[in-house]
Amino acid sequence: MDAKLVNPFVDAFTSVMPQMGFPEPKRAKLYVRERNAVSRGVSVIVGFTKQIRGNVVYNMSEDTAKYIASTMMMGMPINEFDAMAQSAISEMSNMLTANAATNLTGMGLEVDISTPSLTIGANFQVKISDSQYLTVEMDLGGQIVELDIAVDQK
Amino acid sequence: MEKVKVMIVDDSKISRAMIRGHLAKTNFEVCAEAKTAAEAVALYGETHPSIITMDMNLPDADGIECSRRIHAIDSDVKIIMISAMKDASLVATGREVGISAFLQKPISTNDLIDTMMVLCQSKVGKIAVLRESYAKAFVRALQQGIFSMIGVHSEVSLELDDRRYLDVSGIAVIVGLTGFPVGRAIVYMDVDTMNKFSSIMLNIDDPKDLDEDDASDTVEEAVNIIVGRGVSNINDVFKDKEMRITPPGTISGTNIRIASPKLTTFKITADTRIGKIYLNVGFAEGE
Repeated sequence: MDAKLVNPFVDAFTSVMPQMGFPEPKRAKLYVRERNAVSRGVSVIVGFTKQIRGNVVYNMSEDTAKYIASTMMMGMPINEFDAMAQSAISEMSNMLTANAATNLTGMGLEVDISTPSLTIGANFQVKISDSQYLTVEMDLGGQIVELDIAVDQK
Repeated sequence: MEKVKVMIVDDSKISRAMIRGHLAKTNFEVCAEAKTAAEAVALYGETHPSIITMDMNLPDADGIECSRRIHAIDSDVKIIMISAMKDASLVATGREVGISAFLQKPISTNDLIDTMMVLCQSKVGKIAVLRESYAKAFVRALQQGIFSMIGVHSEVSLELDDRRYLDVSGIAVIVGLTGFPVGRAIVYMDVDTMNKFSSIMLNIDDPKDLDEDDASDTVEEAVNIIVGRGVSNINDVFKDKEMRITPPGTISGTNIRIASPKLTTFKITADTRIGKIYLNVGFAEGE
């Protein structure tokens, strides 16, 4: 995959999250991986089609997911990662992906995105690519949100 | 679901009988049949159907003129033009006089029913439309796909899925749906079924010879084909709205929970001799 396709996703994350009351995110690590993303506990998968094809996974621990959901809901305490918290994480993924799609359109690339699928579990992996893909770890107030980006330009 | 009244306007006795035949045993009830434009206008006033099927050639006026007259009486009525010829100029003129859909003869029962379902969504309800016009396309795709790829027959059932989660141990292949309506399809099965499925597809006799990655790649490719076929079934009917699929994301592991907030989902189960294969298809609400 092409590294220039990573920026629209990182830019979306850095611009959208502060609007929802989060501290300024920092790019922590960037590395190349193959085939499978190993879930950190909560993984949201979104599919892309048209000129950009592939999948992006927003991958985080359940604690991070609870922290994000709580912040999105004005600091409401969240003990269980329940339906409302899941809905918040889905909504965040939607916003990030829609914003990334706008950034891609700005680069002259037409994209369509699917609805997010939120997956929870301690023991699973997600195959998102037949070959290599890029992972970016974003530091959000000390919590790590991993973006697994397996998209290609057609 | 309440009956929806339909009037057939066609000067050919055979055509009228065919359309009546298509609608037999459905929730669409033929309340009137007209042979001329004048008769159509008169019968419209008497029976007030929700939907009209309109032929292009009538003895006293054409279908466009007849539609114009009826639309002037009631702009809510849904008119479907069914004609031998269908071209861009006919569609453009037809839209101006309030014709909602255009079908070309010979029409299939599926095309006619699907079109009618979409036109009277507010009457039959969104879930019925999603079930009849969209979910059923995946029912056919799953059954035919399993049979054509591994030669195994299946008993297939379709139900509205009101569970908040899917609980999966084994493999789940997620394929996004974009266009209209947007959503996603998830095909899942346990490890045993996956291994049997891929052994048959790859012609492997001894389960020990089956590589784990090959098994999941095989199921992934099969799902890609099945969901692609489902979407093609839909695109064949609704030619003006193109649905597309995203590349698959394949999840494997144990005790995985998949949630899809805000989707209307249907569970399709294919019961086969190698185990159960599930296809859960969900569409975004409010579109």
